Amino acid sequence: MAEAVEVRKVAQESGEFEPKIVAFLCKWCSSAGSDLAGVSRLQYPSNAVPITVPCSGSVSPIYILSAFNKGADGVLVSGCHPGDCHYLKGNFFARRRIYLVQKLLQFIGVEPNRFRMSWVSAAEGTKYAQVIADFVKDLKPLGPHGKLGAKR
Amino acid sequence: MVAIEDIRARARTLLESGEVRAVLGYQRGSAGTLAEPAFLTEPQQAASLVWDPTCIHNLALYLVNEKKRQRTQRSNDKRPLAVVAKGCDSRALVVLLQENHIDRSEVVILGVSCEGGGVIDPRKLTRALAGRAATTVAMDGADAIRVGTASGETTLPASELLADRCLECARAYPELYDTLYGDKAEGRSYSPRFAALNTVAEKPLDERRAYWNAHFERCIRCYACRAVCPMCYCDECVVDSTEFVVTPNTSADEKANRIRWIQRSPDASESAMYHLVRAMHLAGRCIDCAECERVCPVNIPVRLLNNVLEREALEAFEYVPGTDPGLPSLISSFRDGDPNDFVR
Repeated sequence: MAEAVEVRKVAQESGEFEPKIVAFLCKWCSSAGSDLAGVSRLQYPSNAVPITVPCSGSVSPIYILSAFNKGADGVLVSGCHPGDCHYLKGNFFARRRIYLVQKLLQFIGVEPNRFRMSWVSAAEGTKYAQVIADFVKDLKPLGPHGKLGAKR
Repeated sequence: MVAIEDIRARARTLLESGEVRAVLGYQRGSAGTLAEPAFLTEPQQAASLVWDPTCIHNLALYLVNEKKRQRTQRSNDKRPLAVVAKGCDSRALVVLLQENHIDRSEVVILGVSCEGGGVIDPRKLTRALAGRAATTVAMDGADAIRVGTASGETTLPASELLADRCLECARAYPELYDTLYGDKAEGRSYSPRFAALNTVAEKPLDERRAYWNAHFERCIRCYACRAVCPMCYCDECVVDSTEFVVTPNTSADEKANRIRWIQRSPDASESAMYHLVRAMHLAGRCIDCAECERVCPVNIPVRLLNNVLEREALEAFEYVPGTDPGLPSLISSFRDGDPNDFVR
């Protein structure tokens, strides 16, 4: 943690924009995947704030909108691969819902790259690190998001 | 041609026989040209029913409101309500049935076909008449509307007066009814479906953002769009938490730490959040009656936010709301073939 704060401080001092990402990780897969990335000592950006949720299907659209409303630069929803859901079909419901949220956000002018969904299993620590690294890479050129409906 | 006499006669018989508690229909309004919703309880009132392109309101709303009201009443009059329903109103009823909010035995549907026409947009009418007040509005064939003013009658093309949703409507006849008035007219010649949506959706991202920023900034959060929506029937809405009761024992900590998903201040971001949450709650339920857009005092195109999800539901999930009361809802169902390539 202290190390992460240190990294951020260095980045801030160098004047580079560090996006804030809110990551909703399913308890059974993606959260375990992020754990694995940690215990495997993989190096990846520390921009994502992980929030463990019981299932990607439990991520209400209001969580996502609220994250943007409260100033997140990017939001990630991550769950088990289709067919691997601990609750059998939670991630199928999530997929449909997230698809709609994504289209709605794009319609009101939020860049498509600010909101992302991924499937990360408990064994895919490297994939989790890659997803976060890619997300940060894509968010940096976009700059700060401000809030929903805020002028830029 | 819809014979209004038939609807009146039917309303009278229903009320005389005591089969229904009341008939919900349209009567001549006391202010302006527009018809107003009528709540008829006596057989002799049936003569006041009207049907013309000014019958704008979605009467499914009053069915929902009456249900809410009745819950707090002592009377246990379980007789159904009769509702005069246009195509869009009947689809709203289908969604309410689909959600088991109402039971089929609670409603007698007097379906009225728009017969290729529709209802007018009062704003377009005012603009077309350059401020003069219309006294009568009637369809003249399928493509023209006869408007009477104090200084005489004019005939205007229907495409200039009809509401956007009516121009785009593909099924201007009731989906579900007990008795049908008028013919089911298929095939319409106005605009393609989602025409109004496409003009906004085709703008580049930056322009779209500026467009919506301007609208969200103007939102005064009167919640008229919520009040008029037949689908917004929740007892507690996420924007005003009535469940959080402040008593003398409520600590400052509890007050400070209660969850506020959406602040009440009409800040652009909070307003955007309100509108997006409402759009999400209406995904696969909104039947595009466009009442939200009509009642908006600051002319925010609220309907487009619902339209964008309606189009996605159609294109990605082949889901059309308000067609079949037996269908599982859009959000509570899935298929293996749902789009997956957007997920990393």
